[in-house]
Amino acid sequence: MLKINDLHVKLEEEDKQILKGLTLEVPAGEVHAIMGPNGSGKSTLSYVLSGRDGYEVTGGDATLDGASLLEMEPEDRAAAGLFLAFQYPVEIPGVGNMTFLRTAVNAQRKARGEAELSSGDFLKIVRAKAAELQISPEMLKRPVNVGFSGGEKKRNEILQMAMLEPRMCILDETDSGLDVDAMRLVSDGVNALRSPDRSFLVITHYQRLLNHIQPDVVHIMSNGRIIKSGGPELALQVEENGYGDLLAEAG
Amino acid sequence: MSEIAVKTKAQQTPQVTGAPKAVTALDDRLAAMSLPQGGFSAPARAEALSRLRVMGLPGPRDEYWRYTDPRLFNVPGPQPLPFDAKAPESPLFAQRDTLTLVFVDGAFDASSSDELALEGIEITTLAHADAAGDHWAAGLYGALEAAGQQPVKRPFAALNSAAAADGVLIRVTGTPSKPVHVLHRRAADAADAVWHHVIRLEEGAELTFLESGMVGARSNAVIEVDLAQGAKLHHITAKRAIDPKVGLSHLFARVAEGAVLKSFSLAVNGTHMRHEAVIDMAGDDAVAHVAAAVLGDGATGRFHHDDTVFITHGAERGESRQVFKKVLKNGATGVFQGKILVKQGAQKTDGYQISQALLLDEASQFLAKPELEIYADDVKCSHGSTTGAIDEHALFYLRSRGVPMDRAIVFLVLSFLADALEEVEDEGLRAEINERLEEWLTSHA
Amino acid sequence: MTATTDLDVREGVDRETVEAVQNMGSYKYGWDTEIEMEYAPKGVNEDIVRLISKKNNEPEWMTEWRLEAYRRWVTMTEPKWAMLNYPEIDYQDLYYYARPKSMEEKPKSLDEVDPKLLATYEKLGIPLREQMILAGVEGAEAAPAEGRRVAVDAVFDSVSVGTTFKDELAKAGVIFCSISEAIREHPELVKKYLGSVVPQSDNYFATLNSAVFSDGSFVYIPEGVRCPMELSTYFRINAENTGQFERTLIIADKGSYVSYLEGCTAPKRDTNQLHAAVVEIVILEDAEVKYSTVQNWFPGDEDGKGGIYNFVTKRADCREARAKVMWTQVETGSAITWKYPSCILRGEESQGEFYSIAIANNWQQADTGTKMIHLGKNTRSRIVSKGISAGQAQNTYRGLVTMHPRATNSRNYTQCDSLLIGDKCGAHTVPYIEVKNSSSRVEHEATTSKVDDDQLFYCRSRGMDEEEAVALVVNGFCREVLQALPMEFAMEAQSLVAISLEGSVG
Repeated sequence: MLKINDLHVKLEEEDKQILKGLTLEVPAGEVHAIMGPNGSGKSTLSYVLSGRDGYEVTGGDATLDGASLLEMEPEDRAAAGLFLAFQYPVEIPGVGNMTFLRTAVNAQRKARGEAELSSGDFLKIVRAKAAELQISPEMLKRPVNVGFSGGEKKRNEILQMAMLEPRMCILDETDSGLDVDAMRLVSDGVNALRSPDRSFLVITHYQRLLNHIQPDVVHIMSNGRIIKSGGPELALQVEENGYGDLLAEAG
Repeated sequence: MSEIAVKTKAQQTPQVTGAPKAVTALDDRLAAMSLPQGGFSAPARAEALSRLRVMGLPGPRDEYWRYTDPRLFNVPGPQPLPFDAKAPESPLFAQRDTLTLVFVDGAFDASSSDELALEGIEITTLAHADAAGDHWAAGLYGALEAAGQQPVKRPFAALNSAAAADGVLIRVTGTPSKPVHVLHRRAADAADAVWHHVIRLEEGAELTFLESGMVGARSNAVIEVDLAQGAKLHHITAKRAIDPKVGLSHLFARVAEGAVLKSFSLAVNGTHMRHEAVIDMAGDDAVAHVAAAVLGDGATGRFHHDDTVFITHGAERGESRQVFKKVLKNGATGVFQGKILVKQGAQKTDGYQISQALLLDEASQFLAKPELEIYADDVKCSHGSTTGAIDEHALFYLRSRGVPMDRAIVFLVLSFLADALEEVEDEGLRAEINERLEEWLTSHA
Repeated sequence: MTATTDLDVREGVDRETVEAVQNMGSYKYGWDTEIEMEYAPKGVNEDIVRLISKKNNEPEWMTEWRLEAYRRWVTMTEPKWAMLNYPEIDYQDLYYYARPKSMEEKPKSLDEVDPKLLATYEKLGIPLREQMILAGVEGAEAAPAEGRRVAVDAVFDSVSVGTTFKDELAKAGVIFCSISEAIREHPELVKKYLGSVVPQSDNYFATLNSAVFSDGSFVYIPEGVRCPMELSTYFRINAENTGQFERTLIIADKGSYVSYLEGCTAPKRDTNQLHAAVVEIVILEDAEVKYSTVQNWFPGDEDGKGGIYNFVTKRADCREARAKVMWTQVETGSAITWKYPSCILRGEESQGEFYSIAIANNWQQADTGTKMIHLGKNTRSRIVSKGISAGQAQNTYRGLVTMHPRATNSRNYTQCDSLLIGDKCGAHTVPYIEVKNSSSRVEHEATTSKVDDDQLFYCRSRGMDEEEAVALVVNGFCREVLQALPMEFAMEAQSLVAISLEGSVG
């Protein structure tokens, strides 16, 4: 599904190379995790894939179902089925959560040539999905992410994911700032979305999230590259011994 | 030099206006209009005229007109501004049950208006009252305007008091069951509409006063608001897209002890607009909030919108709040001049002011002069002003959810304006205005 | 005085301040030097302008330059837009030139300077002998002597008394001398840069200065040179009924750096005295200038009698890419202050900073601030202003931030705080913000409040009297600016803050 081939990325403003030949493939239905120390380029990867400004691709490519992502506008990538759950979801005062969600859902449906959801149908779906994530109707009425706690923001991200039904989901440090209960809620939300034609790329610093969201493959990232890939045991190894050994091994 | 010592440090605001005498220009200006004789208002009109003659019209080098060229207001008549008489009228406030007064080019049109009767309210029009003779508004008409001429001269307000053809005079003694709504309509292409409202709320009275519609090619409006102890006025003006090419308005308010004034204005388009709010926080515990949401698109010709606010705290524990937001594109210019003046003895004043501009393209500009002038120590006053482009990060967030660029910008503009809209207390009205904004933004994307 | 040993020193307030506060006195510099003076006749006209030029042995071109300014000045009117209230100044009723008789023949070295003059500076704590360090900076002793040396140009009324460390600076290629000397010795530099930042016609006071300036300092830092020590000018007005008009010109060539300090005092006199100075700074590519002022002119007495009228034009031109300027000012003196040290950010990525403390007590009036004129792309500016008003004083921050259409991607941040002590003073904020492109971001914040009661109570519960407590809290309020000062000045400034507020409570 997602293929990243020898991706090189630098910051637009300064002469700093962040990704230095990253190669990765996530087949349909699989959950891959990317772990790595701070500054290894994990968040940059998620931003570059979803099309945030400020980065310059100096080499390589990334495709979703064969179509190159890198030239697309962010909203076209979303319509193509890519979703990024932000590490720091953005607050948008004055814009209702429901309005925002409905606009996003219908924009994507329209882009895919599907009929827009009527407000009745939309309401029914959103209420059901919100309930699963224990998002209260009151939270839905509030402006996007304004006044939400850290955990509420992350649940809201998962609600958006559930509503938008993307095929390729990237979770950027979704566990940061979550307590145990919130982590379980978020993970249950993600697990409920697992399906044979949907893939996940879970970016995390710690192994604990991977106890809840079981990955098929774990990649270790350092200095802009994948230095090692393996099964879930790799994450446990990091948990036990830190990144030191792996980094040393990779030279 | 040798014999002098610095003796007096008078606690007064220096006169910032130089009051250049443009006698000929003023004479031309006056000659082009018909000055009503007035009935009950005749003495006030005469006084206003003599005030105006002393002041003269402002010149472009006048400090108070630093950012807005007064010449379009100075010239004898407006450029004709054709309009489509068949264009559908703004649906704003149309769904509400209001006591509606229709004004055509600034003159009351009784045949299109509701009957002027409502429990708890005494309401008539200026022209009608002038014809009738004695009136309760005799002590008020032009009086708040006159008081508002210090320390800064406002010649066009004096011109208005002298020359206003019509307006509405409202005295409220209770809490009327519905808002009063002034709906403006146009008739002539080159109308130079001058109207003057006087609103007096007696002790504990409440009123919602709405204004909407289209006015002439040029307009000059004055509203004098006198709030007695504990009274509460909610004032909303929503001028529409094809609004006056050249428009000037003044709100003069006196807020007595414990009274509350909330004034919100929505302005979209127009070419050369200035709105002044002059508020005297005369009684202890007075509250005044003034806010505006302004959308300017220079693509329709020219867009220049100036909000000038002067709030004077003369009593204790006053609370004033100014929230001004301007969204500017295609070479539009936004101006904000706001001042909080706290007089000696006005302790425990809480004054807040924010002016912000969102510039949607390189050609637009925002010019601001947010001032504090404070002569009491136990106060909490602050102001903030920011100017910048749309938040790229928020824009990316929206787009990453599949919201197209145009739509995402509409969302972020609404988000930017939200604080100003919060000043509209009535949720229904707020939603209505928000909808109108969204519609405008979508059609101007 | 209260013992401080047990005092809990809070954040924003430190021990030096406590000590400074406890040692505070009143205006320390109010004495005068009895010395035989030579005056030009009272008043200003073309002959006086020629006379000043002649006294300075100036070349013809300089005399003409002055005359041109004078002729312009007579056509101008005094600006009245500031929130300042003072009686009409009679420009014909003051002396424009006063110099000690002993300075008639310019001394060849400091050893030849009249001992009375040397004693004056010694009493002020200004080191005119190179082995001395700046007095009042005891804390500096701990620092390596090498790093703490300061070269001084001392200006007494209309003339420069002497400049220290000239030879050592010359070795580094740095020119530091009086402006009168520079006009004679370095005419090519003076001709090129004088009036290039503050033109002769700039404003009423600057134009008057252009006509009658008698002396001042000149600095040239050559390309790539980091000035080996701090430079400073110390201005002293001594003579009665005399205006001081000094002119400072600083040129920082490509890649150079200099930190410059300026101090000023005057005797207590019950008449007002005029001071109208001009400071011009030219900063070329990658160069950096820090200019710090502690302005402590006599502020007038507690009844508003006497004091200096301080009308000063200071401007830095960041003429080329990545030039950087930082103005720091502590304005505690003067009866009237009219001063707006400004930055023209012409070069791409150039930076301007303005840090200011302005204290007005008794009947003082200050109208001060800055202009940040962004002309180049990616330029940055920052303004931090702390105004304190006490007694019957009026204190106004007046500032301009303008983003030119071409100054894309630029930034300004302004923080302007005012503190009121007592209910008879005033604090005012008059910012002008003009943004003419959308990629720039401008943020302005201003607050006005009184001294925090909780903080005061806390200090007093630890044994301080009210005045000490106020001084302490005010120092905390000013901290951000005090920290921007070079160490030589920071301590002096701290105690000045305390002294200036004397009598403000109770």
